[in-house]
Amino acid sequence: MAGFADLNVPQGPDKKGLQSLLEAAARLGYSAVALNHVIDFKEKKQEIAKPVSPSELFPSLPIVQGTSKQLKVLTRLTLVVSDPSHCNLLRSTSSNIRLYDIIAVFPKTEKLFHIACTTLDVDIVCVNVTEKLPFYFRRPPVNMAIDRGIYFELLYTPAIKDSTMRRYTISNAISLMQICKGKNIVISSAAERPLELRGPYDVANLGLLFGLSESEAKAAVSTNCRATILHGETRKSACGVVYTVKKLRKVEEEETVPACKKAKTQA
Amino acid sequence: MVRFKNRYVLCQVVAEEPRGRSCIEERAVGSAVKDAIARAYGDYGLACCSGAGPAVKYLNAYTGTVLLRCRKDFYRLLCSALPLVRQLESRGLRCPCFLSTLHVGGTIRSCQKFLIQYNRRQLLTLLQNCTNEEERQRIRQSVLSCSLTEEQSSSGEEEEEEEEDDGTETD
Repeated sequence: MAGFADLNVPQGPDKKGLQSLLEAAARLGYSAVALNHVIDFKEKKQEIAKPVSPSELFPSLPIVQGTSKQLKVLTRLTLVVSDPSHCNLLRSTSSNIRLYDIIAVFPKTEKLFHIACTTLDVDIVCVNVTEKLPFYFRRPPVNMAIDRGIYFELLYTPAIKDSTMRRYTISNAISLMQICKGKNIVISSAAERPLELRGPYDVANLGLLFGLSESEAKAAVSTNCRATILHGETRKSACGVVYTVKKLRKVEEEETVPACKKAKTQA
Repeated sequence: MVRFKNRYVLCQVVAEEPRGRSCIEERAVGSAVKDAIARAYGDYGLACCSGAGPAVKYLNAYTGTVLLRCRKDFYRLLCSALPLVRQLESRGLRCPCFLSTLHVGGTIRSCQKFLIQYNRRQLLTLLQNCTNEEERQRIRQSVLSCSLTEEQSSSGEEEEEEEEDDGTETD
């Protein structure tokens, strides 16, 4: 079974706090954690810094309880977009974005949600949980996102902290579930302190609150997270696919077969 | 075989500060869990899960292990409300903590078996981090002595393990 992963741990400047967070996550049983950098374009134009490699920040990663492997720490970037011009940053090929393991986008309007699901090259689309959704989800972009392998992310830490946030979280989650039928969902924390983290079994139970079935909720914490990480890796490595189309001509087919065989033995 | 089917949920109270350990007592944990269920599910949830008196069956203040009971049909309510517990209050002291579910079983005995295996694994990790030779000897002894056959021996093993826990927690 895939290990549990928590894909959203906000990266603050406090190194000690982050270390205690990672230790708490390892103790609870998470095999992988992604440090999240949030870039908001509403404020003045910010530079996207190169991601700090986790091995520089933490010389010794804590060992996951239950296994004997070290905690895997990945880097993640979240772009809060409220304007279509912000997306241009994603299309540029020579920026530091390519160095992050996972890229997430947080659309604020319906049009941007559509663009994010259909054309943008991201791994995760964040679903707002802290306020009432300004737009309704529609089926076509959600289905296209599921086909492309993009996952929708729900945060659970606001649900723990505050009662009104909990209501928004649950209502937004349920409206998402109705459209996507529980597929391609990832639940993660945005925990700033170790006390806001919850174990993976508990997070799967929280998924039941959001309207997922039991197997879907468990998948949301384990297999879907692993799929997102793999999606990020393929995005980093694969630029494009070249495929050749053979023209069907009967006479030439017999001639080309021995040539192929020759090439294979030579190569 | 059994008339009323119950589910026993084994959880662990994880608190940051060491002084939080003194807060852990039956009534405090029970009321915190009921409060979380009331906030999430309201009167319906309260009635389903903990209508039949306080549901805390076993509590170990040193390791923070809690065993809760609820009806079989409503254990999902309880399980999904447990992550919402944020703090324990007792005698005026508030201690921020969270509960993490370890195991859900149908009988107390199955939960006890799981707890013994879990504690044995914890002891082994403590053994790795141990610095004192004397502590090492004691941990090894307790690992070898834990078993389900006698009730005194299992509670004895837990007591020894608590001491080790205290020893390493204050480090």
